[in-house]
Amino acid sequence: MLNQAFFVTWLAASVGLAGPVLLAAQGEIFAERAGVLNIGLEGTILLGALGSYLAAVATGSTPLGFVAGGVTGLAVGAVLALFYVGAQASQVVVGIVFNILAAGVASYVYDLAAGTSAPTIGLLRPVHLPVLSALPVLGPVLFRHPLPLYLTLLIVVLAQVVLFRTRFGLALIAVGEHPRAAHAAGISVARMRVIGVLLSGLGGGLAGAYLVTAQIGLYRDNIVSGEGFIALAIVIFGRWSPLRSLLAALVFGGADALQLSLQLFNDRVPAQVLLCLPYILTILAVSGLLGGRAQPAALMLPYRKE
Amino acid sequence: MSAVPLAALRGIVKRFGPVLANDHVSLDVRPGEVHAILGENGAGKSTAMQILYGLYRPDAGEIHWNGAPVAIADPADAIALGIGMVHQEFLLVPPMTVTENVVLGLREGRGPMLDRSGAAARLAAIAARHGLAVDPSARIAYLPIGVQQRVEILKLLYRDARLLILDEPTAVLTPQEKDALFATLRSLRAEGRSVVLVTHKLHEIMAIADRVTVMRGGRVIDTLDVAGTSERDLARRMVGREVVLRVARTPARPGAAALRVEALTARDAAGRATLRGIDLMLHAGEILGIAGVEGNGQSELAEALLGLLPVTGGRILLGREDITRRPVAARRARGMGFIPADRRGTGSITALSVAANAVLGEQRRHTRAGGMLLDRGAIVATAREIVAHFGVRTPNVALPAGKLSGGNLQKLVLGREVRRASRVLVVEQPTRGLDIGAVEAVWQALLAERDAGRAILMISAELDEIMNLADRIAVLFEGRLSTPLPADAVTREQLGLMMAGRDPAAHGRAA
Amino acid sequence: MAAPPDRRAASETPAAIAATMLLAALAAFAVAGLLFIPYGTDPLSAYAFLFAEAFGSLRGFGFTLVQATPLILIAQGTVLAWRAGLGYVGFEGCFVLGAAAAAWLALGGTPDGFPYALPPALFFPAVLALSFAAGAVWAGMIGVLRVRFRGNEVLTSLMANYVAAFIVQYLVSGPMRQPGSLPQTPRLPRDTWLPYLIPEARTHAGILIALVASGLVAVLLRATPTGYEIIASGINARAARYGGIPVARRQMLAILLAGGLAALAGLGAVLGVQHRLMDGLAGGAGFVGIVVALLARLDPLAVVPAAILYGGLEVGGAAMQRDTGVPSAVVFILESLVVLFILGSGLLRGWRLPLPWSGRWRATSRKAAE
Repeated sequence: MLNQAFFVTWLAASVGLAGPVLLAAQGEIFAERAGVLNIGLEGTILLGALGSYLAAVATGSTPLGFVAGGVTGLAVGAVLALFYVGAQASQVVVGIVFNILAAGVASYVYDLAAGTSAPTIGLLRPVHLPVLSALPVLGPVLFRHPLPLYLTLLIVVLAQVVLFRTRFGLALIAVGEHPRAAHAAGISVARMRVIGVLLSGLGGGLAGAYLVTAQIGLYRDNIVSGEGFIALAIVIFGRWSPLRSLLAALVFGGADALQLSLQLFNDRVPAQVLLCLPYILTILAVSGLLGGRAQPAALMLPYRKE
Repeated sequence: MSAVPLAALRGIVKRFGPVLANDHVSLDVRPGEVHAILGENGAGKSTAMQILYGLYRPDAGEIHWNGAPVAIADPADAIALGIGMVHQEFLLVPPMTVTENVVLGLREGRGPMLDRSGAAARLAAIAARHGLAVDPSARIAYLPIGVQQRVEILKLLYRDARLLILDEPTAVLTPQEKDALFATLRSLRAEGRSVVLVTHKLHEIMAIADRVTVMRGGRVIDTLDVAGTSERDLARRMVGREVVLRVARTPARPGAAALRVEALTARDAAGRATLRGIDLMLHAGEILGIAGVEGNGQSELAEALLGLLPVTGGRILLGREDITRRPVAARRARGMGFIPADRRGTGSITALSVAANAVLGEQRRHTRAGGMLLDRGAIVATAREIVAHFGVRTPNVALPAGKLSGGNLQKLVLGREVRRASRVLVVEQPTRGLDIGAVEAVWQALLAERDAGRAILMISAELDEIMNLADRIAVLFEGRLSTPLPADAVTREQLGLMMAGRDPAAHGRAA
Repeated sequence: MAAPPDRRAASETPAAIAATMLLAALAAFAVAGLLFIPYGTDPLSAYAFLFAEAFGSLRGFGFTLVQATPLILIAQGTVLAWRAGLGYVGFEGCFVLGAAAAAWLALGGTPDGFPYALPPALFFPAVLALSFAAGAVWAGMIGVLRVRFRGNEVLTSLMANYVAAFIVQYLVSGPMRQPGSLPQTPRLPRDTWLPYLIPEARTHAGILIALVASGLVAVLLRATPTGYEIIASGINARAARYGGIPVARRQMLAILLAGGLAALAGLGAVLGVQHRLMDGLAGGAGFVGIVVALLARLDPLAVVPAAILYGGLEVGGAAMQRDTGVPSAVVFILESLVVLFILGSGLLRGWRLPLPWSGRWRATSRKAAE
């Protein structure tokens, strides 16, 4: 059963499925490095998905829909930043309440905008990169994906460079580790955190757009079901580092893809066992059983200037 | 020397809620001088300097730089002018390296990229010039405190600070590190830079400062040349009356051994030894003072005795009973009390009422209905009793304990612990941050307990406190305890040497 | 020596708190009211309709109580866990597992049932205990991860919700499925149903369970030494330890109780409403319950009216969607806005709930000076 075709299909599916959550994770890495845990990421992705869908239907252009998802996410990030940073509210509470609000808003807006019709939009077709996509194994696995995946990979590399090799990145990390020190060094903690949350919003919005425009092709009420939380898990699993989060995302994508593939081959293993697996892996990653001490010291804790 | 001061505060006013921290404070700093700001805790000196550095905004008043008024809204503004500050609690990011900490927040070089190696080279050059040896690639988390302070100073020099503000810099330094710091300060002064030294240590001011500004109760009392004053004179200005630097202490009459510690060892999370074989014996009716610079195992010793820190070896015996593995509640039940160094974070739960705090740890002794329900009447009665007996100033016992001033909170904690501790009282930094009145009250209370037969172990970084209260004195240095000596058999100088790890006998004649 | 004046600000008096909360709630209603307009209804009559449906008749109020029952239980669970300092949010998981345990016992364990039937007098205590235990164990596992291994309980419990949902999904698609293709269990036997208190609204005895639980939680937290220790552990674990309180044990107790209460909410859904086990039973109650607890400021007595309010909103919202086509999503929006605005107003006054993870960041390198 474990022949090459299965293997290749599985790997390709893993990479493809990892895309959206990896994208959301990049923005969230910046938010958490600055000390903000955005539990509302789930709601952000949902609203980004809706925004991209409505824009794609309205304009008839799927790529425009993708961009609109990002814009929606940015707007959501701004609202969240207001609460997390401006009001210094408990991040957990705001996140949970926001997810409920987002679900309500998304449902309301969709009902208002779409009514009874639910047109599908043209999916962003997979792009076959010249030469590279013809390679055996690596070809289908890495080089025949829709454009958003390549964009995501680019963002991962960019994020790694920005975070660890620029002054901005150093300042951001300092804000999440020791906000008082950063403040005394002349860095605005609030500004850094707002930027982090905006990036999280942007990443979430684009992730939702990715789901709709490159994977599913339409919008429905339960289109986002845990992706935001998986993204949070990936950030932790990847120790708040973009390159490591890539590996983490592949693990999650792999488990997800395995569940789909196995259903074709073997239906004695209940599908739920495999569906469960990413979540159990996340619990393990976050449980403290495997270390995880690399967490930004000031994560989730508000910082007040006197 | 030019007549125009480098920096000046004019009529600075700052309020925190009802507290007037700075009341029309005016002072100036000349170029090329070491200027001390003297005052007790709560005098307002740290606040004034934090305003100068832009961490706080004044409610009224002006700041002048080189004769012209300036607005300093944020540390970034202060840094841009050439002002730098080293705080009591170092503002270094532990997981980052020395170089990264030094360049944090700097806008240098081309573009957004970091230039770690270039910065490290520049850093090394500055360090060499002022005798501040440090490894640029070392991570802060692994550096000792004295070296961390060097990094803080390097941060300022890297930005070419003309005015360096040091807030209580010697609080955690050994005498040797203090000497090195003073040498650095002299070298900075020779370069024409100015240093503001915020401190309450009189002998340091006499040793290094050119001028001193005395603050008390948020106001500037005086600014004098150090050459024309003395420690006694400064102390008098600082507290406003002749300082009673001594308390009357009758000779101790120690009784049976109440607490014995044998070969106690402990390690920290990183595996480094924090207690290296501590031996001590504490008798009823005496105060054993444990002196030493903070960071040598004081808090570890206190936590080990309390039961919060697991020990890796050795024994603790209360009377005849081995309590080494016993939990906190069991130790308390057997008559041990603890006054922690951190009264707001550990010794009390500031969000709960005074009454609730009065029974912290005793809640199961204030119950009814067979222990199932709390007896509110009994709790209030206990609280009122402590408040009355120990002079805790509070409008009622329902007030959240966090609203009490430091001194009153300490009295509450003290009263609670003293009430419960029938045998042994372990006290850590009991008067840190308290005003003179509160310090006297605490000292008197401790002596009263000693006279009533309690065994008291007092861990303190204040030599004054040790010399005033302790019957026997030992010094904790790098996790090792010296042999306790009778209080009248040691001098301050000898203690100072022991705190730095030197054996006074081997040192030969004391200077 | 005269007693110094009480320096608490005027903004912290109970009157000020109540006033700002009310204003915030009204503001939320006003903003949400705008959502009715595109559907051709004006906010005032929409709200009047909502409240009439929910509270205006015995039948309506009965429906409201049915909705409120799980909210009360989950909110009390939130109060216990969060006051103990644990940001546990896995109530959805406890809910469905509690429901599954109740259904399992009601069906006699297997499709063929136990060889003997439990008489009701034995059945109800047994099913309450079993269901409670299922939720307690589920929450307890997350509690252990947090208390012993310092794992982030917010994230682990969120993930655990999905695992629990999949477990139940598996059960109703496999071992416990009724004959046929629908993923649900057979209808539970009649004498396992919770008795109806208000038959016309099918208001079941679960509301009594919820009220009794609320009373017990209130007594526990306010009047017992254990409750004092739980609260102390949640506000300042270090000081609690210093005082001799076994913080880890109290936190575990709190989370076990919280999980058990949420499981009883599931029991109510299965034995009182649906009378069979199926997928998606919780329907978000696990999170709305948290919101109710926040609205009640984590006070066990305030939970009951807050839950009844939100239960009523949901009844009204469902009726409104049925009768006028305005989507019930408006109610979700209203529910979250009320809490957001109230929390926001509290912050404007400078007051903070003792929520887990809301403590001030503090340098750990040296202890803070006075």
